[in-house]
Amino acid sequence: MLSTIVEQSVNGIVTGSVYAIVAVGMTMIFGVLRAINFAHGEYYMLGTFGAWFSIDYLGLSYEASIVVGVLATIAVAYVVGQLVMRRMVGAPAESGVLATLGIALILQNTIILVFGGGYKFFAGGYIEPVSILGFSLAQQRILILVVCLLVFIGLELMVSYTRLGMAMRAVSQNVECCSVVGIDVPQVVLRTFMLGAALAALSGVLTAPVNVSVYGGMGELITFKTLPIIIMGGLGNVRGTFVAAMILGVAESLVATYVGLQFRDTVGFATLILMLMWRPHGLFSTQARF
Amino acid sequence: MSLTETAQQARRRDLRIPLAAVLVVLALAAPFIGSRYITHSLIIALIFMLPAHGLNLLVGYTGLLSLAQAAFFGIGAYTAGLLAVTYGTPFYVNLIAAGAVSGALALPLGIPALRLRSTSFVMCTLGFVIIGQAIAKNWISLTRGDMGLSSIPKPYFELGPLSFTVSGTTNFYYLALIIGTLATFAVWAIVRSPAGRNMVAIRENETLAESLGVPTWHYKLIVFMISAVFAGVGGCLYAYYLTVVSPLTFQMYYSTTMLIIVLGGGAGMISGTVFGSLLFVGLTEALRITPELRMIAYGVCLLVLVFWFKKGCAPLINRFWNAIGGAK
Repeated sequence: MLSTIVEQSVNGIVTGSVYAIVAVGMTMIFGVLRAINFAHGEYYMLGTFGAWFSIDYLGLSYEASIVVGVLATIAVAYVVGQLVMRRMVGAPAESGVLATLGIALILQNTIILVFGGGYKFFAGGYIEPVSILGFSLAQQRILILVVCLLVFIGLELMVSYTRLGMAMRAVSQNVECCSVVGIDVPQVVLRTFMLGAALAALSGVLTAPVNVSVYGGMGELITFKTLPIIIMGGLGNVRGTFVAAMILGVAESLVATYVGLQFRDTVGFATLILMLMWRPHGLFSTQARF
Repeated sequence: MSLTETAQQARRRDLRIPLAAVLVVLALAAPFIGSRYITHSLIIALIFMLPAHGLNLLVGYTGLLSLAQAAFFGIGAYTAGLLAVTYGTPFYVNLIAAGAVSGALALPLGIPALRLRSTSFVMCTLGFVIIGQAIAKNWISLTRGDMGLSSIPKPYFELGPLSFTVSGTTNFYYLALIIGTLATFAVWAIVRSPAGRNMVAIRENETLAESLGVPTWHYKLIVFMISAVFAGVGGCLYAYYLTVVSPLTFQMYYSTTMLIIVLGGGAGMISGTVFGSLLFVGLTEALRITPELRMIAYGVCLLVLVFWFKKGCAPLINRFWNAIGGAK
């Protein structure tokens, strides 16, 4: 009984790590752009497809496929960012919703058009189990945990100390003032967007060996998981996102075990609605509500 | 007309009444002019127009961006489908029930959701769709899960000794046309009333509206419920037209389509919603050759809409309407 709870919680933390890496990109994009990116899961999907392609067609190793997947996604994100996201600075909320929905449709269906809509087998990754303190855990899951921690430490440092990080914080506080003091706001938006997409792709490549199957529509589900997380975490809040993702990961894992697998995908929105009734600002937001 | 214009200036002929007459005739004669496929597309457009009208009241007039239309659309479809399959009640009973159940469920959903502002509100309403789909999938004893409800009977009316069954595409087209026209008039009546002006006041500046004595909370809640009633009625028609209801009725795709219809046609304009539903349903039907290319083209259209037609087609419609109106 207890060991099941612990095991499921550990699995939940791993799932939470995956969500956290995806969601932190989305929350940063929200911070600079004030727009929800409905296409965010599509970059997760693109990363996975890039890796699957380089393993299946180019015969690369899993490690190399991570690089290929992430770089391919960054390239796509650069094009999308130049054409669309840059122009969304200061646009009303509706245009953000519509434009990113449009991008999601285009990316998802282009992949289906090129590679077909069926499920594909992802052959790669470290799937041997390791046993720690009597629990067995796949190596890949440990890798995900480690990468997640490194990503968040890296992001904390970047946001606090680098030029881009400071520019991001400035833009998320006041776009007009940034323009006045000479910060190239569209450029900051573009770079943040590319960083967010790269993180989503990284998360996708890391999870692919655990999920095994790869298909064109997989991004949509990830987008829907990410949305409640970034709201719960307080929009634009990096640490809050981390905690919210962990809470959601563990909650999903426990619900799947004790209530039923089919309810797993609703946990996020159900928790979100309950949480919003109690704290409309998000769990960790100190700012005015968005 | 501006004051500086004089009576001598040439006036073009007012073509608005003839045009309206032509449109009415076209709408009435459509099943006999076009092919069966065109009639089918028009029925879909008329059905989608109903939830879009509701969404227009929310987005266009009250300024609340909601993605919950698909949830209420699905609730309406399931209510009508279950009543028709289980109890065999006549069409108009199910239509009213679908609207009433959707509207009633909008109350408990709207109370927490409307406490939120923009982005959080959008997410919360999106959550209703996801949760609705999960309920439809998992409450198997009621909804038959993934199998859905099938063989919903043809709509029939029963008033005393008279009964009438709507069979065939042409008949269904007229049914949808009647309901669509009534709904359009209902929206027109709401918008033209003092309540409509209060809604616009909330959209423009909620704090100011509140300070002027508009009970903004009640207005928002009631508009949310009305929009759900429209969506429920639309869902009922959709269930009857397709004769099946499945959990896929609760799909983000429907919410997106409603939003595209409203914003693409022109938010805050009734003619915009009517035009938008014809345009976008026509567009998706025309692109039906390959499903993937169709969705890609749909995505491109969205981007074009956002960056080049910020206010949808409404300004174009207005300009055209004024141009043929005789005034220079």
